[in-house]
Amino acid sequence: MTVNKVWIITDDRNALGELCAGGRQLGETVSAVVFADKTQAEEAIQLGADEVYVFGQPSESVVIESYSKAIADMIREAEVNLVMVHASVSGKLIAGKIAAQLGTGALANISDIDVEDGIVVKHMVYGGAAVRTEKALSKTAVVTVGTGVFTALAKDPSRQGSVTEVNPELANTGIRVLETRPKQGEVVNLSSAKRVVGVGRGFASKDDLQMAEELAALVGAEMACSRPIAEGEKWMSKERYVGVSGAVVKPDIYLAIGISGQIQHMVGVNQAKTLVAINKDKNAPVFKQVDIGLVGDIYQVLPQIVAKLKEQKLVTV
Amino acid sequence: MRVIACGKAVPEEQDIVISKDRQVSFDKAEWKFGSYDLNAVEAGKQIVEAAGGQLSGLCAGGKILENPKMKKDIVSRGLDELFTVTDEALEQVDSFQTAKVLEAAIKKMGEYDLVLCGAGSSDLYAQEVGNQLGELLGVPVVNAVNKITPEGDKVIVERALENEIQVLEISLPAVLSVTSEINTPRIPGMKDIISANKKPVTRWSLADIDVAELEPSREVVSTLAPEQADRRLNILEGDSEEAVAEFVKLISAELK
Ligand SMILES: Cc1cc2nc3c(=O)[nH]c(=O)nc-3n(C[C@H](O)[C@H](O)[C@H](O)COP(=O)(O)OP(=O)(O)OC[C@H]3O[C@@H](n4cnc5c(N)ncnc54)[C@H](O)[C@@H]3O)c2cc1C
Repeated sequence: MTVNKVWIITDDRNALGELCAGGRQLGETVSAVVFADKTQAEEAIQLGADEVYVFGQPSESVVIESYSKAIADMIREAEVNLVMVHASVSGKLIAGKIAAQLGTGALANISDIDVEDGIVVKHMVYGGAAVRTEKALSKTAVVTVGTGVFTALAKDPSRQGSVTEVNPELANTGIRVLETRPKQGEVVNLSSAKRVVGVGRGFASKDDLQMAEELAALVGAEMACSRPIAEGEKWMSKERYVGVSGAVVKPDIYLAIGISGQIQHMVGVNQAKTLVAINKDKNAPVFKQVDIGLVGDIYQVLPQIVAKLKEQKLVTV
Repeated sequence: MRVIACGKAVPEEQDIVISKDRQVSFDKAEWKFGSYDLNAVEAGKQIVEAAGGQLSGLCAGGKILENPKMKKDIVSRGLDELFTVTDEALEQVDSFQTAKVLEAAIKKMGEYDLVLCGAGSSDLYAQEVGNQLGELLGVPVVNAVNKITPEGDKVIVERALENEIQVLEISLPAVLSVTSEINTPRIPGMKDIISANKKPVTRWSLADIDVAELEPSREVVSTLAPEQADRRLNILEGDSEEAVAEFVKLISAELK
């Protein structure tokens, strides 16, 4: 079963493939809305879209969210069944504005969608403690979708489709871009890391993290942390904290060191193939959900572990 | 400047109990205000401290909002007055129904310059109430706001996108959803808690704000704890050299 019309909207070219594939999987026809850059239109068609609307950028000072009303009008006109918006910051705002225009609520950050018997979606609630399944009741369902829900199809250069440029009149929106500047801080891509070492409040000071960094360097892992380490202590950048409100990692192995294993943290790591934990409290929740655990004091065991791994390395090299 | 900060009463997530059949229970849960909403209150407080004006709180929800402890909790964080809309029907509403109720309440509250929401409610975290509310009110609306500087009849805000910061000039009135990093909410002192008792509260029902019907956008089919992946649970105890050696052996096997 599929629905009739699916629209996908994305401000991020990298999300085009997955969303187009999702559209193909769920709908008879797939229309894509992209912004500013016409070269994306061809790509969208090769990736599965039947028609593409390219919204031009009239001036630097306009935010793309200003197009939401125009897009909502087109969606209403076309009697679209399902609108899937990339769950970026801008995408969430676009989805909310479009949904409100259509008199419905945006179903946010879905992790699964099924159209067999109406449009049914799943998303995480209560900080990851539960997954809620919801059925859309409105004529047009508006959802936001992060990466990893659909799998992009290979580009098919023979696919045909229509491309329409749209340049709607924008009344004074009351929002003017004064400046756009790159974000300070590191660019880390934890989501593609194969090995990740995560540190938590079991470390007493920032300097002590060196022990974990040494381990990470030895095994070729990216460093990650629990939220308090990034937001409370500010020992590591925000980009590195893992969990329901941070990054989601899917490595082959995740080593949680001095992390208690609260659900809000674990939902960010429980897709790891192997979960490992070191914690001095044998009743820490983390030990209920790991493959390999060591009950011990970081300050005792971590230096020993590092030393042993170094020895091994000397032997194998 | 009149600033309205919105907040939602939520169950304390640490108190959620998961039963064997993956059901989620809040029977033992304390209630509090969502941690992200406290950032909105703090942002509002800082604005009225800097630019002068008044900070009003607005909460829509179930009967729990009538609990004096809840009032004290939110008002003591810097509100000059509190408005609540309570109805049992508001215990299970979706983001759009909430936005509709807030819209109606704000219209009844009169003139305003700025409505602030948190990054998301700490229970359902759809991050859409502010976005939908702004559109319903027909005013400029922006999410992920990391800094707010009042400037006459406008505000200058910094908005954190994935890889860049947008600096925006926004005319008032407007609706802004702030990030959890915008500030560290102050912890109310004894004085704040005592003076909170004297701050005025206006309590409305849905009828008071002329909301007759609230069509849901979705039907909740189920709310279940995620299925736990089977893990090996191979836990080694003690910081003896043997335990550490065994641990290193096990993880080395995984790292091959
Ligand atoms: C709405 C919401 C969203 C949240 N989102 C996230 C999120 O995305 N990510 C996240 O991580 N958290 C999140 N949290 C916070 C989360 O609930 C936990 O508070 C947090 O994960 C705990 O971090 P921790 O494990 O580092 O610290 P703690 O819970 O304090 O655990 C520290 C652990 O270290 C152990 N330890 C102490 N000393 C030693 C030692 N010497 N050797 C060995 N072990 C030691 C202790 O036994 C303890 O288990 C969120 C919370 C809320 C309310």
